Amino acid sequence: MITGDAYRESLGDGRAVWLEGRRVPDVTADPLLAKSVAWVASTYDRYEGVTNPMFRVPMTRDELRDQMEFLVGADRTATTTAGCFALTTLSPGLRSLADEIVGRDARMAAAVDDTAKPVEAQARADGGVELSGGKQHVLGAAVVHELLVLAGDVACAVPVAAEGVRILAHSPAPRAGDDRHFPVSRSSTISEGLVVFDGVAVPAERVFRGADAFRDTLKLWERARAVAEQADRAELIMGLAQVISEMNGITAVPHVRDKLSAIAVYAKMCRAGWDAALGNAQEGPGGMVCPDDAYLCATKSYGSQLYSDMTHYLHDVAGGAVVTAPTIADLEHPVVGDQLRKYMRTMSEVQGEDRTRIFHVIRDLFADTFGGWDKVTNQVVDGGMHAQRMATLDAFDLEPARRRAREAAGIT
Amino acid sequence: MPMMTGEQYRASLRDGRRCYIDGELIEDPGEHPMLRTAVASVAGTYDRFYDPAPDAFHPMYTIPRSREDMDRRVKALGQSDITAGTTAACMALVDVAPELGKLRPEYRDRIYAFFDWCKDTDVRCSEAITDAKGHRRKRPLQQDDPDAYVRVVDRQSDGIVIRGAKLHITGAPLVHEQVVLPTKSMKPGEEDYAVACSVPTNAEGLHIVNTTNAPRGEDVRHFPISSRTNMPEGLLVFDDVFVPNERVFLDGETSHAASLAHALGLWERSNAVAYSGSSADRLVGLASLLAEMNGAADRTDIRDRLSELAIYATMCRAGWEAAMANAKTNEDGTLSPASLYVSASKFYNAELHGRMVDILHDIAGALLVEAPTMADHDSAEIGPDVREHLLGEGGWTAAERLKLLHYVRDLTADTYGGWIAVTESLAGGGQYAQRLVTLRHYDLASAKELARKAVGL
Repeated sequence: MITGDAYRESLGDGRAVWLEGRRVPDVTADPLLAKSVAWVASTYDRYEGVTNPMFRVPMTRDELRDQMEFLVGADRTATTTAGCFALTTLSPGLRSLADEIVGRDARMAAAVDDTAKPVEAQARADGGVELSGGKQHVLGAAVVHELLVLAGDVACAVPVAAEGVRILAHSPAPRAGDDRHFPVSRSSTISEGLVVFDGVAVPAERVFRGADAFRDTLKLWERARAVAEQADRAELIMGLAQVISEMNGITAVPHVRDKLSAIAVYAKMCRAGWDAALGNAQEGPGGMVCPDDAYLCATKSYGSQLYSDMTHYLHDVAGGAVVTAPTIADLEHPVVGDQLRKYMRTMSEVQGEDRTRIFHVIRDLFADTFGGWDKVTNQVVDGGMHAQRMATLDAFDLEPARRRAREAAGIT
Repeated sequence: MPMMTGEQYRASLRDGRRCYIDGELIEDPGEHPMLRTAVASVAGTYDRFYDPAPDAFHPMYTIPRSREDMDRRVKALGQSDITAGTTAACMALVDVAPELGKLRPEYRDRIYAFFDWCKDTDVRCSEAITDAKGHRRKRPLQQDDPDAYVRVVDRQSDGIVIRGAKLHITGAPLVHEQVVLPTKSMKPGEEDYAVACSVPTNAEGLHIVNTTNAPRGEDVRHFPISSRTNMPEGLLVFDDVFVPNERVFLDGETSHAASLAHALGLWERSNAVAYSGSSADRLVGLASLLAEMNGAADRTDIRDRLSELAIYATMCRAGWEAAMANAKTNEDGTLSPASLYVSASKFYNAELHGRMVDILHDIAGALLVEAPTMADHDSAEIGPDVREHLLGEGGWTAAERLKLLHYVRDLTADTYGGWIAVTESLAGGGQYAQRLVTLRHYDLASAKELARKAVGL
């Protein structure tokens, strides 16, 4: 397994990336994309010398739980790579590609959603295909090595640096020169990309059939990640609300306890849904164990429906300093720094700087650029809240429910 | 004195004020990259309402005596930047002038003199209300730091000296006067904390540390709202600031500390409620356009969501209408919207705002937060890709789609959107405060009587 520095070096492969209208000659040197690179590199350094767990396809419930815990804690390209690896259980033909990816310790991203000009694969005489069209919402496109492109019933593995691939990157990373008051997004953002395929030649050994099944598995994988992360995020909202309430001295105020209890119920239900999905995980095609989709759909829908209410409660118990707290640079200022620490503290046990840092986390995650990106992209997983409800209905085992209703009403 | 032009306003800010942002002292707010657009928007208001007549003044200084006055005022504030709104709210001091006059006649005289001076010199004011507060459940004298609430630390023959901090002060570095008011009611023994006064922004000992919702970056075309209408929020540190007697409106009378905060709170909430209908209408329009853009306008589930938004917008508008239909006039003839409807409407508006925004996000999809920028669109190299791959349904061009998506993102899912979500909910008191005020003003006796009759008690 390669080091973070070797990963950085690997990105100097001539990839064609643009950001906000300008060509990015080196993604490791761009102020915004470098933050994504640094996050991915940190995962590389964590597993230097040993095989990264993302390459392990879970075959038991315990392995699935371990895998998901790892993915929630790792950079987001680990999830996209692991999702692509899960497909090896569906198509033995992918195995040799997977071996090559492990050998290079490369990262993959799935390119599934079409732009207004869908990607089409034209067959070539040598058995390969030529790709033309566009894909959007490709997580990590500018900082991974391979794109797994779904076009009709065909899936193709395309190196990011391939001739004819152009990436229009977008990043929710903070733009402030001194970004210390963005404690999460300064180190945990992954850029997204709109990827244009302009007559990209793909050799036969990188073309695979059965993309419809791939699509379903990739969607399920994305849904699982979103639900796992939702449970973690709900617990973080709970923790932040409790800590800032304690720092404000209001945990015993009845309406604050009301809000904290509402968040506690939300956090527990999000966790319960995820645990139920893991506890009822089933063996899929090829032996891979997948979380139960009915619980995934219901939990995703539940979490999305109430997310805004929970962040609203968090803002309410925290107060206006969520968006007006001074920066770390302000706290260091020789004239006003001591005054700011004095007025941001609330009692002898609470330091002004600690409380300020809590406000920064709340703003960064729930009231700023990264928070907006994170909220929207998680809400619209699987087509948004309405689609999530419909998916829950579709996944619900209706027959036993109907039978019980008939029995209750005495209808034979 | 004549009104100020935009240029004169800009010059007025170069008065030695000590304002900071991102850990740096600001030399001139009008030239600072993170403040200059806010200064420009205030200067734009000055130019828009400029009238060279010697007795001309901005409509925010009109004390409303009738519904027509109020409508003119709402319209004028809608055409102005936020500091006009904060200044107008400060002028609500005249609401409580008669009451304070009964306490000490000079308070009433000073409030009217201050009002006239502000009007004549065409200055802007901030509402400096929220204290640092320390431990929220403890009274000012119970805090381990006596400065957790702004207090009088010295009384001299010609004025007072104050110490403490005020937080979340909208537009603080861009106005001329910081109108300091108690954040809540005070009790006997807390006389030093029962203080209301006005402090010039360049007063010795006043430091203002700012944050802003302005976008960062060279090209801000993909921030269509916040690149034009951003505003800083200041944390005011009063490090033993002298205030002359003529600018002291309350000093030690604990019985009246809450009156001032309540008067301004009502106007602050009223400003929010007055525009909530049009803001909600905008959400309906944006959702409707997003649905058209995505070719989903006729879908049953989308029409369901649009109807939710339409009900929300209509109720927001109804709240303000009811507040004005039930407005009250004080003994000096000043008209105030009905507190009951203002608080109930503000609560309703803020409580459901997040869910309404969810609807927009659901209709828009992930492209909302991942759309290429206008610079991408205009690029000679990749512009053709953007125009081809972002082409919308029903004749929507890529440029039109991008404009709509960036507008909605800026408004609801970025720095400015976060600021809106937090401040709309907390300005003028949080949600629980709105509920309490609503219950306090609700006619419970009549409701109980109705219930008694219905039940036959």
